[in-house]
Amino acid sequence: MAPVTLTNIKKFFGSAEIIRDVSIDIADGEFVALVGPSGCGKSTILRMIAGLEPITGGRLKIGDRIVNELEPKDRDIAMVFQNYALYPHMTVEKNMAFSLEHRGASKAEIAERVRWAADILGLKDMLQRRPGQLSGGQRQRVAMGRAIVRDPAVFLFDEPLSNLDAKLRVVMRGEIKGLHQRLKTTTIYVTHDQVEAMTMADKVVVLNAGRVEQVGAPLDLYDRPANRFVAGFIGSPSMNFIEGTITSEGFAAPGMTLPLPEAVHAHNGARATYGIRPEHFSLSPDGLPAIVSLVEPMGSETQVTMTLGDQPVIGVFRERLRATAGETIHVAPDMSALHIFSADGATRLN
Amino acid sequence: MRTELSPRLKLFVYGLMCVLAIPFVFPTWWMVTSSIKPISQIFAFPPEIIPHSFDFSTYRQVFELQPFAQQYFNSAYIALIVTAGTMLFSSMAGYAFARIRFPGANLLFMVVLLGLLIPSEVTIVPLFQMFLRFKMINTHWPLILVPIFGAPSVFATFVMRQFFIALPAELEEAARVDGLGRFKIFWTIALPLARPALAAVAIFTFLSSWNLYLEPIVFLSSPEKFTLPQALTQFVDAYGGPMWNIQLAAATLTALPVLVVFIIAQRQFIEGLAHSGLKG
Repeated sequence: MAPVTLTNIKKFFGSAEIIRDVSIDIADGEFVALVGPSGCGKSTILRMIAGLEPITGGRLKIGDRIVNELEPKDRDIAMVFQNYALYPHMTVEKNMAFSLEHRGASKAEIAERVRWAADILGLKDMLQRRPGQLSGGQRQRVAMGRAIVRDPAVFLFDEPLSNLDAKLRVVMRGEIKGLHQRLKTTTIYVTHDQVEAMTMADKVVVLNAGRVEQVGAPLDLYDRPANRFVAGFIGSPSMNFIEGTITSEGFAAPGMTLPLPEAVHAHNGARATYGIRPEHFSLSPDGLPAIVSLVEPMGSETQVTMTLGDQPVIGVFRERLRATAGETIHVAPDMSALHIFSADGATRLN
Repeated sequence: MRTELSPRLKLFVYGLMCVLAIPFVFPTWWMVTSSIKPISQIFAFPPEIIPHSFDFSTYRQVFELQPFAQQYFNSAYIALIVTAGTMLFSSMAGYAFARIRFPGANLLFMVVLLGLLIPSEVTIVPLFQMFLRFKMINTHWPLILVPIFGAPSVFATFVMRQFFIALPAELEEAARVDGLGRFKIFWTIALPLARPALAAVAIFTFLSSWNLYLEPIVFLSSPEKFTLPQALTQFVDAYGGPMWNIQLAAATLTALPVLVVFIIAQRQFIEGLAHSGLKG
């Protein structure tokens, strides 16, 4: 186990700046998810931590060593790749033992470590099979086995579940989380799936265009996103955004005036974005009129696409709403869960 | 999607394939049957497709008229060394061109490929002068060195490069994380996975060395140093006319190992060329 510190990390591919001054502190034993849309640089950061991609600028520390110039094998890390990267010509046992063999471990130690990892991951009956004879989930487990068998200071996961079907992804999510709780090894997990990041990580780093947008505990990001990007990225369905102006009467948007919390009135006259999550609308006879355009009953909740003022928005209600398209319903935003951002979306105003 | 043919269509397709196979099978059949016919029957008209009398003494005479066993050994050991050497060098060169980023790599690869465009007839005289200076004339060295560093090796390098390009980069990255250096990654990960491409390289290199004709007649002069293609031309009577049945018996013996190697390794050969993006 070891803390990992990224200080002003930069990466250029030619003249293109891919990673811009990224600084992240990862505590010893912490599970951190790097999340963001495709092309945001999350995998590049992970590969730089692994030593598979040279760092253009900044400082990377694993434990108390600066590792910028060290080879991957000298960084005390283990990595699980998106496509598993199991050696197809070796058995499961050989795949798991391979790194230990090349580090000069004794045969007895290798056998013991492989047995231990196979026990934890339920691979005991598959040790003599080759990767081609395994299912996706089993391959994923072998890839994890290959990582844990060395007892590294840091685990790196590069979108490890993206090749699995939805059901298996949920199972493996639990297994990875369980493994972390058991081993307490510092883990850096890259994903584009915010649900994975939210459910698994102690801390989530949201990245966009090579920059860190926000770092925080999953629920902090959900409850208090620092800017419009994070607000839109975290949560499903996405937060509704309505453009308008802050006035003393409320938030003036085309075709309506929305209620605002007191604290925001300091910005009266400013153009801003009004953010509200779909689940923070409630049905209320005193609410704002909204014209229903689509109702999607999910069983536990009902998702409604509707027009509020001139804006299309989505609401999610616990009630089993039996409205039809064209019907008017009345909805009220939860005043304690509003998110007001500056017009450029860069800062939060409440 | 695989569609099942009706029995009648299947019969027609198989019949057609049998007819189309005749031009390919007939020369081999003619060679084998003529090698056991008395010489008078070889040119009989109409030709005898299935011989009615057999004379296996031709196979004995092959070994009596020339040091054929020695020549067989020469061809075999030269082909094996050339095959092993080409596999080693072409796999390393192919891997380097596919995986190691260095300035001018593509240009250098183009220059290497240009070697395929130069016919061996063009280089044979300078090569002769070079080997003469090295005192290697009438030795097997030219037959070993020219293919290993010549056109067959260039083609093999191309096949290996195409294969290694298709190998997932993540496998090598995993090996780097596992603690392997560049050469060990090549040796323990990339090379074992390149077995189909190596098999293809092995077969066509072995074949090209086994069938090498121009170089032996230029570089070798003693019968005991000859290789098989050169030896085949030596089965002539006192007037210089070919002793057909003995020559065809020698040709049959010459073709045998090649057929055996190809039959054993044909699946990997086809797979290897498919992986390298080449079509047969």
